[in-house]
Amino acid sequence: MRNLVTALLIFCGCAFGADSAAIAIRNAKIVTVSGSVIPKGTVVVRNGLIQDVGENVSIPGDAVVVDGEGMTVYPGLVDALSTWGMPGTAASGAARGGGRGATTTAAPAAATPAAPPARGPEDRPSTTSWIKAADEIQATDKRIESARSAGFTTAAVWPTRGFFAGQGSLVDLLTGEKAGEMVLVPSLGQYISLTRAGGGGGGMGGGFPSALMGMISYIRQIYLDAGHYQLVKDAYAKNPRGMQRPEYDRALEGVLESKRILLPANRWVEIDRMIHFAAELKQPAIYYGIREGFEDRSVKYLKDANATVLISMKWPEKARDQDPEAEDPYRQMLIREKAPTTPAVLKKAGIKFALYSDGLDTPRDLQRAVKKAIDNGLSREDALRALTLSPAEIYGVQDRLGSIEKGKIANLVVTKGEIFDDRTKIEFVLVDGNKFVPAPEAAPAGGRGGATAPSGPNGVKK
Amino acid sequence: MKTFGLLIACAIAACAAANDTFFIRGVDVYPVTGAEMKGVSVLVQDGKIADIGAKIVAPKGMKIVDGKGLRLYPGMIDSNTELGLSEVSAERVTVDTGELGEFMPQLKALSAVNPESEHFPVVRANGITSVMTFPASGGRGGRGGGGSQYISGQAALIHMDGWTWEDMEINRSAAMHLIYPSIASRGGRGGLANVDFADEIALLFAGGSAAGTFTEAKRNYETQVAKLTEFFDNARQYQKERTANLPGFKRDLKFEAMLPVLEGKVPVAVPASRERAIHDAIAFADREHIKIVILAPQELGKEGPELKSKNIPVILGRTEALPENQDAPYDYAESLPGEFYKAGVKIAFGTFNNEFSRNLPYNAARAVAYGLPYDAALKAVTINAAEIWGAGDKMGSIEKGKWADLMLVTGDPLEVPTQIKALYIKGKEVDLSNKQTRLYQKYLARP
Amino acid sequence: MKRLFLMGLMALAAVAQVTVIENATIMSEGAKGTFKGSIVVKDGKIIEVGDKVMVPPGATVIDAQGQFLIPGIIDCHSHIAVDGGVNEGSVSVSSMANIRDVINPEDIAIYRALAGGVTAANILHGSANAIGGQTLVLKMRWGQDAEGMIFQGATPGIKFALGENPKRAGSPQGGRGAPATNARYPATRMGVEDVIREAFNEAKAYKATWDAYDAQVAKGQHPIPPRKDLKLEPLKEVLEGKRFVHAHCYRADEILMLIRVADDYGFKIKTFQHVLEGYKVAKEMAAHGAGGSTFSDWWAYKAEAFDAIPYNAAVMTKKGVVSSLNSDDAELMRRLNTEAAKAMKYGGLTREEALALVTINPAKQLGVDNRVGSIEVGKDADIVIYDKDPLSNYAKVQKVWIDGTKYFDRDSDVSARPSKELEKKKLADQEKPATPATRRPQ
Repeated sequence: MRNLVTALLIFCGCAFGADSAAIAIRNAKIVTVSGSVIPKGTVVVRNGLIQDVGENVSIPGDAVVVDGEGMTVYPGLVDALSTWGMPGTAASGAARGGGRGATTTAAPAAATPAAPPARGPEDRPSTTSWIKAADEIQATDKRIESARSAGFTTAAVWPTRGFFAGQGSLVDLLTGEKAGEMVLVPSLGQYISLTRAGGGGGGMGGGFPSALMGMISYIRQIYLDAGHYQLVKDAYAKNPRGMQRPEYDRALEGVLESKRILLPANRWVEIDRMIHFAAELKQPAIYYGIREGFEDRSVKYLKDANATVLISMKWPEKARDQDPEAEDPYRQMLIREKAPTTPAVLKKAGIKFALYSDGLDTPRDLQRAVKKAIDNGLSREDALRALTLSPAEIYGVQDRLGSIEKGKIANLVVTKGEIFDDRTKIEFVLVDGNKFVPAPEAAPAGGRGGATAPSGPNGVKK
Repeated sequence: MKTFGLLIACAIAACAAANDTFFIRGVDVYPVTGAEMKGVSVLVQDGKIADIGAKIVAPKGMKIVDGKGLRLYPGMIDSNTELGLSEVSAERVTVDTGELGEFMPQLKALSAVNPESEHFPVVRANGITSVMTFPASGGRGGRGGGGSQYISGQAALIHMDGWTWEDMEINRSAAMHLIYPSIASRGGRGGLANVDFADEIALLFAGGSAAGTFTEAKRNYETQVAKLTEFFDNARQYQKERTANLPGFKRDLKFEAMLPVLEGKVPVAVPASRERAIHDAIAFADREHIKIVILAPQELGKEGPELKSKNIPVILGRTEALPENQDAPYDYAESLPGEFYKAGVKIAFGTFNNEFSRNLPYNAARAVAYGLPYDAALKAVTINAAEIWGAGDKMGSIEKGKWADLMLVTGDPLEVPTQIKALYIKGKEVDLSNKQTRLYQKYLARP
Repeated sequence: MKRLFLMGLMALAAVAQVTVIENATIMSEGAKGTFKGSIVVKDGKIIEVGDKVMVPPGATVIDAQGQFLIPGIIDCHSHIAVDGGVNEGSVSVSSMANIRDVINPEDIAIYRALAGGVTAANILHGSANAIGGQTLVLKMRWGQDAEGMIFQGATPGIKFALGENPKRAGSPQGGRGAPATNARYPATRMGVEDVIREAFNEAKAYKATWDAYDAQVAKGQHPIPPRKDLKLEPLKEVLEGKRFVHAHCYRADEILMLIRVADDYGFKIKTFQHVLEGYKVAKEMAAHGAGGSTFSDWWAYKAEAFDAIPYNAAVMTKKGVVSSLNSDDAELMRRLNTEAAKAMKYGGLTREEALALVTINPAKQLGVDNRVGSIEVGKDADIVIYDKDPLSNYAKVQKVWIDGTKYFDRDSDVSARPSKELEKKKLADQEKPATPATRRPQ
């Protein structure tokens, strides 16, 4: 599997890098993330890879040289759980900019006609475990440009609808014609949600399962079935004579080929519940949401389980235009107050985490969301790590992504100023060595909307 | 079993004389409006209390009830039910509350009261001799069938016994049930009372509320208030035209029904749970110069002085109720009556229900456990209710000249184990048996 | 605020291993009846009960000042502390659903129940299905996590439901808002019986498959195991007597029907729940060995509740059915003590018999009477102190212990209120500047 991926990468690298010149950014501050900051150094990029980086690096003669004086080079940001590029998930949209609306945990209804209500687990309700984001992704999605303007070069994109929504893929945020060029890892694992696909939720008419306990038992049954399916298939493969052929089940195939699961958990109760559930299912799990990660008990559960989490950056907010005499419950106010401290708390506790966009897709909202975590105690370095090397490590691609090191993929962000600051201007980003410059009107990272237009010698994509 | 025998004996005795004239001897009388009188006698004549005293003697041949070791209280009054109008609440065909229409002052609960409802004997077996019965389910906002309703009709004060609803009537128009608009946006004090907490948190994570904004809610509210005001304006205009009696004047049943309200003879009874809603309802009553009774408030807030100074009575809901939000103390509902009492507000209790109407005294007792003085609790289920609903001169206490709505009991009537030995409505002893006692006897005897 | 409370709670728990409660009016619901005396609690268990007890050195001594001490109240039917819906109502057999998966230990109803003297409750799946989900018994250990709430050692159960509720989803009008096209079988009481028989028919076959497999394994063979079916597993456990059946029911006909179905398939009904017409078939219930857990005086809210009588618990008791009073409701749950008192009024039970309806009897119905339900040596120290007679409307719960740990104290609750208010106000004030002023859109 890994060989295949590597092969694919090499192939892709050649494909877009073969006849391109090198780019050298010199005299820039280089924040490598994996090592110490280089106050004044050079990064050389060729064939979509980082050819060299350091204080005294020789610049190839054919390189297009960028004078990085006053600039900072960072590894490209990675969205650890994204729907950018997934069809039909852009409900919040860059245009709305409010950062409220669709979330990865409650995706909007699909346009597909409603299936008849399921009568039990055998009908495989809200299950599309075999789907891979890599096969669905639309490179033309406007959010890809928008995210790039905020410094994101990579995203773990997941199908998010249904109990077994499908398999996520790690993709580079290129805008091109062939989605395949974007893919770094075609299958990251299985996205599990506790919401039925197409919304609608429970009720008597919606079919099985309608209640949370039904959903959990459904997921449990699927894993039991998958285990049994594997046994029977193995037995049949060994000796098919005299044995009835096991029926092909794509839902179980999809589950079996997923090497890890993503489980939703926001409240501490859910974190506790899902940790137990993953242990019972014997599946390596990553927990997403984690808005109550700040609670002492959340920390304890996560630490005891040596868990890895993805923290939503869509921090809960007070409803707008609320009755002035209305008072929210204490607990709600507490969560609103404390949720943004979760990254800092988990960092302190030594729990592995990454941050994710959760429906945010404008540079302004993304920048503000990161800033809020920083304002609530997360250091800039740790914020950067949570959006670069940490997600790379979580998905096992730290050997090619997430930091500025020789031989890694040339995903870089070049700024004037500190990356998560209000007034910082993103000069350009490199994705697989391709240069994208944010559209002028969107130039400040703090600006609204905006697109990145490919430019420069390397920018025009084939 | 013993009780049952006694009852039969009483019933037989009652046949001998006029059935609303009798003499109770040696009973402890708790008049509610005065100090208790131990071991006295009570003379009931023609359905009324004729005399009370230690020295009075029974006229010759009069039926005598031995009250030794027993207590005599006025019958209790439930200030909000739908008795007679609703039989099996889940079965719509058996329910006659919640008519359609926005302004329905002409509807009368009384004429839909089914005297044979199984609820009457069940409820009165616990000492409740009269109730207010409302045209819409009072506590539930009166939106039973008709979407947005402003005026649901006339609530009736009735006795718990009678061959017909006319027999049962005390006051067919004791109150006009008015649903004052409220600002219905998301959120109350500490969240929604009836939303699952986990759901609320889920809502929070989903990015806020699905319900409308405050701006929208306020706009709706203002439109509704304008509409209600317009109806009152029109009713007043009608009142003028009626007085002028100009040619071409046409009778209008809705406006006719509003006249006693406009004249201040009949109060509007308005459900108002929040402090703001109470305030708004009172402001409306002030503007319209009408009498008002507040139903089922969930908080007192700063409304105490206003309620007290304007002499506005309040019908409290069940104390057997959950706190009204997540953050409220666990004994919130139990403590509320005490708060109203301390603020000097005149209170009575309503069960806002039929099935729980018989637990009226226990709701009052629960308030006592959490701060309401005992005497105030007792008054709230007797004399206060009578006064609020305009029958204070006829009932609600044991006083000369009042109806003999009485209960003869073994102890404190607010305590569960207390047994009712006899019950009188207008001096007539009423049957304490009911569907439930009959089924009990029948199946207890099953071999 | 909650955390503040929790810290207080943990501090309470850490204090001492041995507690003596002296000078209490003890309604033991055990052999000793009601008496003035003391109890000694050690490591979560009652180790001594008597008029006079030995006070071990170092023990925390509490003077009850003559107040009433009773065993913790047990609610045989509750739906609190559940996340994400109590009804897996989509199918007529939802036995795969399990309350254990969705315990919500932060449901405020737990604390409120505790404040009403409840120390344990049977948490049930809803009644939308002929065969519903798996149930379990919780102790109201407010502040603990989901696992910490579970009454370890209590036999798990399964919910059945008869009558109006399970047939509602199948009604041609499409009950509960479901469109008629999605009507779900069954729509009648006949169909409810059929669904249960079908399920057990299937479960018997399933059990036979597993038994055959187990036999092969026992012989040292290595066959492929049969597919594990989460719907049939709990029914297999019912057939094996490892899981209790708690059957929601109202009318006499359906109660009798289920007894006969159980007879036919060789399993037992542990309790009939609600069982409003239990008084009509108490004889048959007693013969089957089923308990009856009912309401005190609820009636007439639906057609099948029209023959409900408040004498039900008393009649069932008199006819030899182990009876209890349950709440089915987060509100009623807080005052089961006075619900019990109603059995004195309606049907003339004694004080002890009445209190048993919410203590030792539900313990028997849940198969935990060796652990809880009375104040006796060796039992869990689940204890409630009331200021007055618990069978009086004027009584208030003062203190509650579970496993010897104090989980509720009225004085502490009341005195903590101002600081809780303050903390909340502080948060609300902090949020204010962040709130944009309400603009009137033009």
